[in-house]
Amino acid sequence: MTETATTPATPVAAPAGKGIRAQVLAVWESWTGRIFALREDQFFLLLAVLIGIFSGLAVVCFRVAIEWTQLEVLGPSLSPSILRVLIAPTIGGLVVAFLVLRIFPSSQGSGVNRTKAAVYIWNGYVPFDTVIGKFITCALAIGSGQSLGPEDPSLQMGAGIASKIGRSLNLSQEKIRLIAPVGAAAGLAAAFNAPISAVLFVIEEVIGAWSGGVLGAIVLAAVSSVVTMRSFLGADSLFRVPEFRVVRAEDLLAYAVLGLIGGGAAIAFLKWLEYARPRIERLPYWTKYLQPAAAGLLIGVIGIRFPQVMGAGYSIIDQALHGQFTWKLLLVLAVLKIIATGISFLSGTPGGMFAPVLFIGAMFGGAIGTIEQHFFPGLSGSVGTFALVGMGTFFAGFLRIPITSVFMVIELSGNYTAILPVMISTMVAYFISRRFHKVPLFDMLARQDGLVLPSIEEQREQVAPVVEKAMQRDAALIFNASDSLATILSRAELKPEQPLLMQSRREWRLLDRERLKKLAEDKSRTYTAADADGKGPLPLLFPDLTLEEALQVVGDWPLLPVVNRADLSKLEGIITLADILRTFRNTPAE
Amino acid sequence: MIGEPKRNAGTSRDTRGFSREFVLVVCFFCLIALLGVTALVSRMYHKRVHSLADQWFSYGEADFKAGNTKKALIEYRNALAFSPANVMFQFHLALALAADGQLPEARAYLLPLLSESPGSGEINLALARIAAQQSHVQDAMLYYNSAIYGEWSDDPIEMRWNVRKELCEFLLSHGAASQAEPALVALDDNTPAGEVERQKATGQLLLKGQMWNRALAEFRSVLERDRNDPDALEGAGTAAFQLHNYAQAIGFLSRLPKDRSTDPGVPSMLETARQIDALDPFRPGLTMGEKVRRTAHALDIAMARAQSCTGPSGAPGAAPSPKSELSGLLATAQQSDKQWTERNMTRDPDLMNAAMALVFRIETAAAKSCGQPTGENLALWTIGQNLGSNLP
Repeated sequence: MTETATTPATPVAAPAGKGIRAQVLAVWESWTGRIFALREDQFFLLLAVLIGIFSGLAVVCFRVAIEWTQLEVLGPSLSPSILRVLIAPTIGGLVVAFLVLRIFPSSQGSGVNRTKAAVYIWNGYVPFDTVIGKFITCALAIGSGQSLGPEDPSLQMGAGIASKIGRSLNLSQEKIRLIAPVGAAAGLAAAFNAPISAVLFVIEEVIGAWSGGVLGAIVLAAVSSVVTMRSFLGADSLFRVPEFRVVRAEDLLAYAVLGLIGGGAAIAFLKWLEYARPRIERLPYWTKYLQPAAAGLLIGVIGIRFPQVMGAGYSIIDQALHGQFTWKLLLVLAVLKIIATGISFLSGTPGGMFAPVLFIGAMFGGAIGTIEQHFFPGLSGSVGTFALVGMGTFFAGFLRIPITSVFMVIELSGNYTAILPVMISTMVAYFISRRFHKVPLFDMLARQDGLVLPSIEEQREQVAPVVEKAMQRDAALIFNASDSLATILSRAELKPEQPLLMQSRREWRLLDRERLKKLAEDKSRTYTAADADGKGPLPLLFPDLTLEEALQVVGDWPLLPVVNRADLSKLEGIITLADILRTFRNTPAE
Repeated sequence: MIGEPKRNAGTSRDTRGFSREFVLVVCFFCLIALLGVTALVSRMYHKRVHSLADQWFSYGEADFKAGNTKKALIEYRNALAFSPANVMFQFHLALALAADGQLPEARAYLLPLLSESPGSGEINLALARIAAQQSHVQDAMLYYNSAIYGEWSDDPIEMRWNVRKELCEFLLSHGAASQAEPALVALDDNTPAGEVERQKATGQLLLKGQMWNRALAEFRSVLERDRNDPDALEGAGTAAFQLHNYAQAIGFLSRLPKDRSTDPGVPSMLETARQIDALDPFRPGLTMGEKVRRTAHALDIAMARAQSCTGPSGAPGAAPSPKSELSGLLATAQQSDKQWTERNMTRDPDLMNAAMALVFRIETAAAKSCGQPTGENLALWTIGQNLGSNLP
């Protein structure tokens, strides 16, 4: 940062007659001077915009690459020929396996976990070849029909770009660690065309806390990436969302049932992945060259009859949202998509799960909605409505990010009316998933990969011990400043083990017994507590503060008063360093 | 499994020692280059995609026009896959879906389009047709009316008239007479004089809506231009017949060319009109002698009808029935027959009225017990129905 201090902040006047070159140099120095005169925090925000633009451009190219590959490989029809359906994903799988194993090994694995690992393990380092590797391999895989989505790779590409820029600019270690999530938010926002959901996802799943230091940068990056993406690909949402009717109170039950079934389906999918992934990982290494091709062939076989399950499937989700499938077909597509996505993912083919999860949710939602409407024709929601809510439901159940799920549906639908059914359905699915599958997907994958990453869900649910738990109640004698020494000593003799606290206005002081006794020996005048020259004023604690916060304050004080927030003269208890440490020791690890 | 990145975590800072200015300049140029590449690639891609979308759409159009709706649907969907926001593609897909009977899906495509262009005549009409096919009368009326007052890109006057006509047809086919009446009046008022085909179509709908006067006026207007137009003659004849203007009906219907005079309904209508014209004693302009003669003839016809209808089964003392009522009327007629001579009726016209009242009661009772009358009986029955309680 020394450079920033030495760079002149004022423009250098161009000497007369030096011409355009001198003027340009002067302008340049003026601007760089201004930029580098910014504090690191302000510079970080500026950088977030740059990262957002880079990520937005990368995602535009990525999406074009996927769709172009799909056009060339699978052909321009929604119902490609059998030969193409079988050959394209198989050959694509072979090529992808070779690229991943031989040229871009860093493009394996979950982008979310890679980004979390960058934050918590690798000091913000995401190798740039990950960006290139993810771009090429995922475009090939998804474009050739593997049942995966572009969001997770986009997220990782954003993180990679951000990390590269941060390192190149020699940012502080703290900022480099934070810059990967900023890029991740930018990448995801551009891929989803949904900046709020992207910001929430990164906070909910990657960082795990509403950190003021990084929130502004994440928001700026997400917004600038979406603006960039929209200027090339248009502002249209990923799906055209049908009109959402206002539901009656009793209709919400139908959405609760959807949450129940969606949560169950999410558990089934999670359990399958949990069971199968380690077993497939244990297969001989050479099989990794064939696994994506085998997955591609299986998906091709499914695709002969149901080409809808191939690729990310946005257009199919769109059709489901508009009630263009029967409930039987919706159900079949949901089950087949689970199988196809599971196969693709387990084979190690790089790509994301977000789009397939939305697909499965939409199909389940549509199917369940149709069935419910068959039995209860009075239900006000359309099939599209249920499909929309189903997307959020399965998303919440499978990825265990309830807040992102709710806001994603609201952001995609652009309709606040959806909030009640979505909240009910997603929360039901989320709690069912939590109840029957303890470990969330990303944590499960990280543990299977041997990465010791913090579980954001566990962090979220962890209850930090608070002062109230450690403090001692009624363990001190309280005096006013005007109390006479005789009164104090008479009471103090009755409880010799208790400390003596003096309260005056809003201050608390600790009285020393020895000092009081010495003063008592002086019979020349009448002393009060105020004359005792107590230690203080003591820092005040409140019962709801965490012990961590108390630890920072306790310092060398022998004890601290815990007072009421509404009345600072009311003592709730006292706390010592020993109390804090004992409570920490006795609190079981979550 | 995820391995650690090759670079050590502890040395994540770039150590090459480039200044921030230099890195920012490089970033700036990289950004410009990436912008250029992205613009180029996205433009090429969009061009390709748009051409594919247009191609699929044109295939869809061709197949839809050829009646191959299923194939057209796939092609429209392919077109939409490449251009999902294209309003025209969505609209045509919706039309194809509606034509294929997939009405809720077609509606699902049309409603968002309508929310974007609530005044579009085309979209409202398509929605109206879907509602009509689903027999949702209120929705259909709403959309039809929106289409009538909506915006049309091509020939709005003709399109609005066509929609009015379609609305009338829909309402008439669904028996919504009360709602059809104002729609028919509006159609009639908006049918320009001189456009023969439209006038004839309007006239036909007015006939279906039993708005005889307006129908007659419409057909007359056509006949003023072409006095031998067979459609107009038949329509005008029908309207005049329904208005009990039998002489006029005969005038129109008898002018029909031979190939049209055998149209269903025309011969019987013409015959009935002629018989009414010949039998009706209350026709204006008749001499008293002719009136009396017609009354006596009508009485003979009615008594013959009553006799043939009651026949041998008219058992006396049976419970009151149409036949017993008819027998009673016949007995009354037989008793009064001697009194109702031409001479008496000429002297006392009230006798003539009483005789005709009995004729009409006999015909009505005979129609109840022996079915729809034919020939002269039908003519007398019709005269009776037309007069109702207004017997002179």
